[in-house]
Formats: sequence, C-alpha cells, structure tokens
Amino acid sequence: MAQTVPRILAIDAGGTMTDTFVVDEAGAFTIGKAQTTPNNEAEGLLRSFDDALHYWNIDRTSAAPHLGAVVYSGTSMLNRLLERRGDGPIGVIVTAGMEDYFRMERAVQTYAGYPFSDRLHVVTHVHNEPLVPRRYVKGVRERISFFGEEVVPLYDNEVRSAVHSLLQMGARAICINFLYSYRDPRHESEAMAIAQDVLREQGSDIPIYLSSRSNPVRGDLARLNTLVVEVYAARPSRQQLFNIRDRLKEEGSSAPVRVLASYGGTVSPDVEWLVTTLISGPIGGILGARRLADTYQFENVVCTDVGGTSFDVGLITERELLTRTEPTVARFLLTLPTLAMDSIGAGTGTLVRIDPAVKRVTLGPDSAGYRLGVCYEPGGVSVPSITDCDLVLGYINPDYFLGGEVKVDRDRALAAIDEQIARPLGSDPFSAAEGVVRLLETQMRDHLYGMVLGLGYSPENYRLLGYGGGGPLHVAGYTQGLEFQDILVPSWAAAFSAFGGACADYAYRYDRSIDLLITTDAGAREMVAQSLNLAWQDLHDRIADEFLRDGLNPDGMSFVPSVRMQYMGMLDDIEVRAVWPMDAGEGLTDLVKRFDTLFAKIFARSARSPEAGYFVTKAIGVGILPTEKPVLPAFAVGDAKADPSADKGRRQLFWRGEWHTARLWEMEKLRSGNEIIGPAVIEAPATTLLVPPGHTALLDQYRVFHLMNG
Amino acid sequence: MADMTEMSLKDRLEESVKRYQQTGHYQGITRLELKETEPFRYEKVYSELRGALVSARETALHISASPIVRNIGELCFAFYTPEGDSVAVSTGIITHVHTMSEAIKFMIRQGYETNPGIKEGDIFCNNDPDLGNVHTTDVHTIIPIFWEGQLMGWAGGVAHQVDIGASTPGHDPVATANRFEDGFYVTAEKIGENHEVRKDFKIRAQRSVRTPLYWDLDEKCRIAGIYMVRDAVHRIIREEGFSYFQQFMLEAVEEGRQIFMARIQERLVPGIYQTASFMDAPYKGKAWHPEQNHDFMMHAPMTITIDAEGHFKLDMDGASGPGPFPFNASEGSMQGALWVQITQTLVYDGKVNDGSYLAAQHYFPPGSWCNPGNALLAYGTPWAYLIPAFTGMFRLLSRGYFARGYREEIVSGYGFTGDPTQGGGTLSNGAYFPVSNFELCAVGLGARGTMDGLDAAYAMWNPEADMGDAEVWETVESGLLYLSRRFKPDTAGYGRFRGGSGWESLRLVHGVKDLQLYSWREGRVFHGGAGLFGGYPGATGYRLFVKNTKFYEMVAQHQPYPLGDPDPAARELDTGLGGDCFVSRDALILPQPFQSGDVWLSLFSGGPGYGDPLERPAEDVVRDAEGNFYLPKTVERVFGVALGVDDQGQFSVQPDETDRLRRDILAEREKMSVPYQEFWERERQKILQKQLIEPVKRMYQESMTLSPQWSEKFKSFWSLPKTFAFELDNL
Repeated sequence: MAQTVPRILAIDAGGTMTDTFVVDEAGAFTIGKAQTTPNNEAEGLLRSFDDALHYWNIDRTSAAPHLGAVVYSGTSMLNRLLERRGDGPIGVIVTAGMEDYFRMERAVQTYAGYPFSDRLHVVTHVHNEPLVPRRYVKGVRERISFFGEEVVPLYDNEVRSAVHSLLQMGARAICINFLYSYRDPRHESEAMAIAQDVLREQGSDIPIYLSSRSNPVRGDLARLNTLVVEVYAARPSRQQLFNIRDRLKEEGSSAPVRVLASYGGTVSPDVEWLVTTLISGPIGGILGARRLADTYQFENVVCTDVGGTSFDVGLITERELLTRTEPTVARFLLTLPTLAMDSIGAGTGTLVRIDPAVKRVTLGPDSAGYRLGVCYEPGGVSVPSITDCDLVLGYINPDYFLGGEVKVDRDRALAAIDEQIARPLGSDPFSAAEGVVRLLETQMRDHLYGMVLGLGYSPENYRLLGYGGGGPLHVAGYTQGLEFQDILVPSWAAAFSAFGGACADYAYRYDRSIDLLITTDAGAREMVAQSLNLAWQDLHDRIADEFLRDGLNPDGMSFVPSVRMQYMGMLDDIEVRAVWPMDAGEGLTDLVKRFDTLFAKIFARSARSPEAGYFVTKAIGVGILPTEKPVLPAFAVGDAKADPSADKGRRQLFWRGEWHTARLWEMEKLRSGNEIIGPAVIEAPATTLLVPPGHTALLDQYRVFHLMNG
Repeated sequence: MADMTEMSLKDRLEESVKRYQQTGHYQGITRLELKETEPFRYEKVYSELRGALVSARETALHISASPIVRNIGELCFAFYTPEGDSVAVSTGIITHVHTMSEAIKFMIRQGYETNPGIKEGDIFCNNDPDLGNVHTTDVHTIIPIFWEGQLMGWAGGVAHQVDIGASTPGHDPVATANRFEDGFYVTAEKIGENHEVRKDFKIRAQRSVRTPLYWDLDEKCRIAGIYMVRDAVHRIIREEGFSYFQQFMLEAVEEGRQIFMARIQERLVPGIYQTASFMDAPYKGKAWHPEQNHDFMMHAPMTITIDAEGHFKLDMDGASGPGPFPFNASEGSMQGALWVQITQTLVYDGKVNDGSYLAAQHYFPPGSWCNPGNALLAYGTPWAYLIPAFTGMFRLLSRGYFARGYREEIVSGYGFTGDPTQGGGTLSNGAYFPVSNFELCAVGLGARGTMDGLDAAYAMWNPEADMGDAEVWETVESGLLYLSRRFKPDTAGYGRFRGGSGWESLRLVHGVKDLQLYSWREGRVFHGGAGLFGGYPGATGYRLFVKNTKFYEMVAQHQPYPLGDPDPAARELDTGLGGDCFVSRDALILPQPFQSGDVWLSLFSGGPGYGDPLERPAEDVVRDAEGNFYLPKTVERVFGVALGVDDQGQFSVQPDETDRLRRDILAEREKMSVPYQEFWERERQKILQKQLIEPVKRMYQESMTLSPQWSEKFKSFWSLPKTFAFELDNL
C-alpha cells in the first residue's frame, strides 16, 4: 500500500455530499465522502479527499504532488440558480419593445419539469421569479432581420442613456441581446463600443457580455437566459474554482484543475463562458459509461442513474453520445449543448400516497430527498418513500445504511406503509410495498424503453448500465422483461459520476448558427462549403485561444468539426460529424448521406423528406487535447465461489409475493470470478446490489457485476 | 354478457351503446375486476400505455415543420377501443381526443368494415367538423390496430395545420360563409393501404393547400407517432396477454368514468349552477357575402347540474343560432372543449379517457350555433364562439369549489386566445410566406382562488401553452417583423387577485411584394361574461393598424417610433408614425392588403379577476403599477390606491389618501346602487320596449325561436306577455 501513487482526483460536489474518486497509476481506486461546504467548497473537497486516501493509508500532502489530473463536477452553480443566490444586479439591454422577456418568459417555463398530471392541471402553473427585475432591462431601437438585413439602425443615443441609467442603478454587469444577433452581430458590437465609452467616461469597469459572442444561436429568450445565467450563477462560481485550484496547489499539486462541461468535455476554470459547466453531475455518469463501453468494446449502452429524486437515462448509440442544444435547466430554456439525458422524477426518495377519492396509488412528484423517508426519524418525513418500501421488503440492511452511519428504523417504515398504503387498498403491507416498488420500476422501465424506441432501436441492441445510489437496488426491477444483451453494475456505482468526470476529454466546444441550404445547385453548394470552412476556421481559432490561455500548446489539439442539420422546413436539427475542409462535391454528398442515415434511425424512415433540400443550421467545433484518464485494471479471474469471509449471513426478503431467505455478501470482499446466486444482497457502505431469486450476479475482471436472469 | 369479438364492428358499437344505456356503466362493466384483484399490474399497464403515447408525441414533434406543431405543441395522440372510445391519451391538444373518437364511430356506423374495408395497414384521414372535428385545419390520421388478424383498437394522431387551403390563407378564417370556402375537406377517407399513404392522395392534398411542405411533414409526423403507438400496444399485449389487454381497455374506460364521478363528489356541491357568456361578430360593412352583412352576437347560456352521486350534466339550452360565418361549432368541437376543460380541472391525474367523457353528460341544442347539424355551413373558426362559451364552465366549477372549500382549485376564467394574425404574402424575392401566427397560445389565466392569474401563459385548448420565440416566428413569417412584444397595461381583470395579464405584439410589414392580413377577437363584449365574486373581466380587444407610415424615414433619422399602444387614451400610434391609423372597437377584420412600412398591432387577452379590487393589498397594487400591469390612473380609479412617486420614478403607497379613496369609491357605489326590484323593472322596460341594439335582439330572438323552453324561462323571468317576440326584418 505504501507504494500507491495517486494520479487522478475526480470530484463530484453535490448539494449534500462531496464524492471523490482517486485513481492510482495501476488504475486501483478509492472513494471518499464528506459533507459539502457550500461557502468554501475546497474544505469539503479536501476532507473527502482525506477520506478516500485513508483507505490507502496516505495523507494529502504526500499524495497531492503526484496528481496529474484533477476534474471537478458539481451542482453549486445550479443550486445558486435554483435558490436565487446569484450575482447582481445585472443590467440587460435588448431590442426595444422586448423588455418583458423575463416576466413573460415563454409559457413552457411555467410548467417545465412538471409531471403529466400537473402539466394538465393549469392552476398549478407559475412563472419563475425573474433573474433580472424589469427596471434593469432596457430596450434600444434597432432591428436586424432573419436575413441579416439592417432594418432599423442602432439608435446610439438610446444605448448611451440605457447604460447611464443602468450604471446609476448600480448594475454590476451588462448583458446585451438583440434579435437575430446570431445572424449579424454588428449591432451588439456597436452597442458594446458605445457602452464602453460611457463606462470610461463614468470611470466604471463593469463587464459587458454579448449574446452573439457567448452563444450565437437562434432562440431569443433561450439565448438571453443563457447569457444572464452565465453572469448570475456561473461566474460567481469561478472564484470557488480558483480557491479549489489554489488549495490543491498549497497541498503541493501541480495538476491543472478542469471542470466538467455539459457537452462532455472538461475545461479550465478560466474558460470564457463558464455557463457550459452548469450541468455537470449527471453528465459524469454517461462519460463513465462511455469509458466502460470503450473498454468492453460495446456499441450501444443505456446509462441509468437512480438518485434520491430522479431517474436519469442517457444513451450511447454506435459509440456516440447524442447532444441536445436547447435543454431546459432549472425551469429556464437555455441554448447550451448538453449530452442528452432524460429524467423523470422517480427516485428512492419518491413519496407514496393513496388518492382517497379514487383509491389509486400516486408516486411523487415530491421526494423525501436526503431525509430518506419515515424510517429516518430525524428527517421528519411522515409519508412513506420508496426507501421505506425497500427497507420493509428486506432489500436494505437497516444497520448498514451508509456503512451504518445512518440509523434507519424498519418498524416505523412498516407501520407507515401499513396505515397509509396497505389498509386503504385492503392489502397487506408487504404486498403493498412491493406493488409500489413495481409501479416505480415500471415508470422507470417505460421511460428508458421509450428512449430506446425513440431512437429506432430495441433493448436487444443495447447493454444496460445501472449506477447511482439506487441503481444497483432497482436495476433488476426496471429491466424486467426487456431483453438487454447484458446488465452491468460497477462495484463503484455510488461514485460513478465522479469516475466519469475523470474520463472526460480536455475539450472546448463552440456552436454557431449559420443557416445554409444544401441543394443540387453547384454554385450554392460551393457557397455552403466555403461558409462552413470559414466558420470552422473561426471556431478552431477561438478554441486554440482557450488552450493558449490555459498555458497549453494548441498544436497538439485534435479538432472535430460537425454540423447540425435538418430537412428543409423541419424545425429540429440533429448533429452530424463532418470533415474539414469540406468540399462542395463529394464532401457535402457524404454529409447528406450521414444525415439521412442518422435521421432514419432517430425518427422514422418514412419521415425522411429530402425533396426540399437540406438545411445546415449550425457549425460546431470541438477541440481536444490529450489528458490523463483512469485505466481500468483487470484483476485475475478466480473461483465462482466467494470467499467465506465475504459471507454476512442471511435475511428474509419479499419478492413477487413471497418471502425468500437471501444470502448477504460484503461487496468489498468478493473477488473477480465470483458468482452470487439469488436471492442475495451484496452490500457496500454506499451501495446495495439486489440479486433477486432466479438471478445471478457475476463479478468480472474489472470489478463490474453482470446481472443475469437465470 | 355475450362475447362481442364475433360481431361486426357496427353491431359491437351499437351493443356497447346499449349496454351503457342499460347499466350506466361502460360496456356494462360494473366491477373493475383487474383493478381489484391486481391493482398494481393494472396501474402498470395503464402507465405503460400512457407512457407510449407521450413518447410517441415527443418523438413525432421533431418531424413537423410548422412552429405551431413543433414549438407550440399542437399535436396529440390517442389509443381507442375497437368501438372508438379513447383509453389513454398523450399530452398536447387533448381537445381532440374525443373528436377522433367521433370520426372512428362515423366510419363504423357507415359500414366502412365492408366498404371501403378496414384492414391491417390501412390509413384513414379526417378533418370534417361535421364528423366530430373542430375545424378543417385540425387533421386526423387514424389507423386500425390488429392482433392476430383481429381488429383490437385504433391509434389516432391530430395536428393543427398552418394552412388548409381555405378561401383566404391561414388556419382560422373569418371571411368564409359556407362549407365550400373552408378549404380542403377530407371526410373520413381511406388514404392509404399496406402502411403507406396513396400517392394520388398525397398529390391531391399537397395541391389543395398553400403550404404543401407543411402538409407533407405534418402528415409524416402523425404517421410516425401512430405507428409508435401501435408498436407499444403490441408489446404490451405480448407481455400481458391478449385477453388481459382486451379486458383492461374496457375497465380503464369504465374506471375513467368512475374517477370522474368520484372527483365530482369530492370537489363539488350538488345543485344547479347557471351562467351565460357572449361574443360579438360584427360583420356589418365588412362582409364579403350579402348574407353575412350583419352584426351578429353569440349567446351561450350554460347550466351545470350535479347530483349527490356525482352525476354531471352540462346543458346549453337557449344557445343562439348558427350563421353565415365560420364561427359555427359542430357538436364534436363542443364535446372536445368540454373534454379539455374537464382534464384541466377535474381528472388531470385520473384516467384521462372517454370514460370521463361518458360521465359528463351534455346537451348542445340541435340547430343552435353549438350543434347546427348542417354540413353546408362554414366551420373554419368555431373557437371564436366556443372559447367564450366555455368560460362559463370555469366560473361554475369555481363556485362549486368555493362552496366545498377547495379554494386552491378556483380559477375565475381565462383570457381569449384570439387575435391570431393570419394571412400570407410574397417576399421581394418572390417566395411565398404564410402568416399563421400562434403566439396567442399564451394569454392570461384568470385569477385563482389563492393567487393572481398567470400572466401571458395560458390557452384553454392546450394546457401546455407557449408563445414561441420571436426569432422562430420570423423564420416563417419573414415579412412581418417584431417591433415589440410587451405586457399590455389594464388587460388583467381587476380584483382582489388580479387576472393574468394580456400583452401585445407590434409588427412591421417589411420586404414584401404583397401581403394580406386578417384577424378576429372580441371587441364589443366581455367574452367571458364577468370576473368572479366581485372581480372584473379582462379588457376587450380592438383593431389597430397604420398604413402608409413614415417608418423608414423616421429610422433613417434615428427618430423614436412608437413601440405599442400601452395607453389608448394617450396613443402614440395614431400620429407617431405618420400615415393612416385605422382604429376600431370591432376586433374582427377581414383580409386587407398591406405593404412594406405598414404596422400591425395584435392584442392578447388578459384573464378575469377574483374578488373586490378594493380588497387588493395596496402594496400589490403598487407592484402592478411598477410592472406596467396597470396604468397609474387605473390604480387610483379602480383599486382606490393613491400612488406616490419618487425622483427615480419608484412608486409607493400613500396610506391616508388610499383610505380616503377607497372610502369614496364605496360611497360612490352605494350612491349608484338601487334596490333589485328597481333594477329589474328598469331592465324589463328596456326589453318590453325593445330598446336593444339589433344584434342583441337578433341573438335573443334566435334563442327564443330555437328553444321554446328557454323562451318561456326568459319571458317568465322578465314577466313578459306570452306573445312577446323581438321582431326583426332580417332575422
């Protein structure tokens, strides 16, 4: 153990716990947990790092100098946005007449994230509290058309007076977003120059941000939201990230600190637009899954993450991750390239009730969250949760919750389920608890099945990976009846997102709306190819600048060009890899073919509509520099029979209407090659893997379980 | 009970109706066996079916071209029993779930099983309002679903078209007077076989509308979705077994019915609830057809009767007549509207299916505007009458919620999703662009029982409202540029809780060779009647556009141009742009030519208020003023709040002055009030002497002629002579 040399530190700083995942040269890893310290995240992070290192018997000062890579992901920006603890006041300048953006929003933001029933139940819809009060939003007359024509020139006097009055009101930053600025940024640039003059005159140095610079893409509200969220929630986190970098440096680390971005790359905390790192936690899991897929040479993987409040599903299809460009985050429409993940509000904390009028079980939408459920008395929850059901059914060990650190009371859970669920239905508490769990797992199953079908595939084409706090416990249930090629549960499922972060590339991504029509006309094709090449050159240069700023040589960068395109007339584009430089002949023909194939796969072949031509909406560039990533060590595969030291005894568990005697195993003590036959429960401090009757769990050379039916 | 699977579809449908009539239960199912014996399995199957419909919609949305479908979500899918009763639906314009049911039943009753035949791979299409649809612009695609050779259900999808080839461009025409101007009609037609749409139909359809690309992509979108539904149903059958699924479908519908009744019992108080709503259709001097050249009014009396068992009946006896305009509403559209209100208020978390439709009995009087039974009429824009009519239902249910103590369920009504700017034009480069704006899908919701209404975010026909991005609308309507999109002061109904605010869009006609525009909304009536419990209705609309402006000269010289019409009493648009400003209290306007530089104003409605505005906390009123929801003079006059203003332009309350103002208003009210008997007598004299304007007389006379029963009620209420009638030359 003394020779262990930690090389990679990956951090997932959640709202309550900070997970660290530390990897050594040989790929061996250790997991640490500590409470998050929101005011100074570096503190909690270091404690979590200590916790991880103590398993290896080394201390932080001797470990830090060996680090070659540090990757951070976290929810602090998102929480700042959700809890409205952002920076401000922010001054906003928009096209005159459009000053009500934040108050009117778009109605979709009034029910974003609601369950089916509340989307229908309109009395529940509410507007977001605006991030920028109305009086801080100033309109100036100007108009650029969809075609990029200047219809109304920029009224410079109005810009001056807007900036004056924002300064007077104490604005600490100014954001500018004009209609169609993505098409032609000249008015935004002119407005910035005028604003800078005013600032100089007034002796002010507040920053000015342009939407045409941050995200030059169509969608006026989403573009403005993204720009303002950058200033409101993302930038204030920069200092936190710098603190983390400084503290690790003090401990002797010389590794650069990188932050996980929503498109799946990692970037420096100095990145120009930090909002790209707004969503990072759940993204980590998909990247970890891609790492496993590469190791195992899998083409298609369904990634499933069961948390306390949500069930997130992402898909790796033909080794590719899908990217969306207009996600809704914290009830805001954003223009943010984000790895596609679809979530439903179903997790281990989901609360269970009976509708008294119609005697129906309802799940959620609220969740006990960190308060777990009725079983955890100090949490003060009086309505049973899924965790309560799991406990009653014998799936969870009441004495080993978080390694025994949290005491949970099975009798309390049982009484609540009996009184609130079973009796109103005229059932016994165990059948009721199992029914509830089955219903939840059915919702999860429908959700992931819908996603697979939506891509034109079926489960037979995929392997499924289950992780997150509740994944190993419910994966057998939510995959039941679906013929996946394999079901995998990594033994480090609880820290899988942090692991995934460590697997991310060092990569910057830029998108730009271009709106070009590909037809058969040779002249037009030449123009398309030229415009694309120019756009990629520009994106390439911007990314090279980012790397230069990080003190790195961009010459070693690999540049991945792609486009988003659609059939002319459709409104939804999909992302297609491209070749740079692009030629107007075969190059474009190949691009179109790749698009046709991808479209048919995602939607329906019959919906292909090439008649009116193809529309290229965006040019996209991703620049990647090589970085150190964890290797997955292969252990020798031994006996199918587990070592007796792993045997923890037996427990009764309720499965499909019957009680079974399950064997209990300590996960840590199982070895590669061991086969655990269900009914069994494999326990680790932060994870419980349920192996139901009729199932077998095989631990492979990478310490990943394969859950098999039969 | 006899096994129905051996019967013809037609017999099955009749048997199903008979069983319901005899037992009061869907298909005569009195006991929900599957639910009782295995409640979790039953819920699981329902959840699977609904999940499949929702995900079909989410996927199919991406295929459509039109912002109306893609951005506003005007798309919906449903699964039906073999007899055409919906079992489960997706989200979206669920108004239509029952409309497709009527189309399926029509095909069954017409004997389609033998001619033209219903077999695996067939594709049917319908958009005929006389067969249950709302208007021609809503197009249904429907397929039968088979299992081992047996027809076991139907999948249907509906999407709202950008243009349906009516006599004027757009989706909600106003100039039309009869069926032959409604555009492209597809009357429950078989349009495809072997899972493929026939080429000749495709050609005919695409040549029948102004926007063939949108037609094509929307059709592809519906077809992709319904096949996803079919596949999901097949999967569930493979998992659960065919006989389980067959029984499940029936129980799910019956349970939908039971849930509806249980909710009624839980939430409302038995009794008779009554109200009325109105709408104006001022065609006089504008009409393109001689028979249309009158000012019309719509009368929508509404009675809801609820009994102790949870039976619900909605009755519109006394409704006025149909007419030579496109506002006639087929019975199917009224059923759809009833449906969509039920799902937003009572069964949002239940089994949203035809069970609740069955439980909600209704009477739309034959021959009236809401059930004309005449296929030759125009049905292009039934929304114009149907939306105001159904505000009554929100008000009536809210009274019930109040009585029962469900304050948080109360909604005082909703804004009018009217003023859809429509038309079409040619850009300078010769390209055609449709104007089919749907930003109206986000008006004000009425005040709620515990808080203000929702500003600019509600549409009665689609609970998932949205206005879409300006940049997306201009991508399509590229000759009509936004000069503003702002809240409009004084559109929110006054009240202790105010209505959700309305808003306005100012558009510049630019870069066009030619363009015609038209629109409609209520102008001279409060569309939803009143507010609730002392609240006021939202503001009515009006029409304003400016032609021959000096816009381009002004912008060349950086002169400020008006950005809207926030205060009509201090209007800038009339002189601020030069040119000719057209203003009318008639919000309805028939197609008119426009040219570059002209400016067009659209007005989107606010919702009604709840409770006496004098009871609104003064601090809230100050916030309303700061937010431009109300003009300062309104704050003073209506809410009785005295505003102070500091040098920064910030408002504050002047408490003493406010107390005085509020006392004065109360005193004024007392002065104006008269004993009820006196009021009744005064109004009675007006009626006796027929001192009513022509459209009102016409409206009441239609109601009296169509319903002797209503006529009796009217005459008895006002103590009128037995022979009383409104004589009118041109009734």
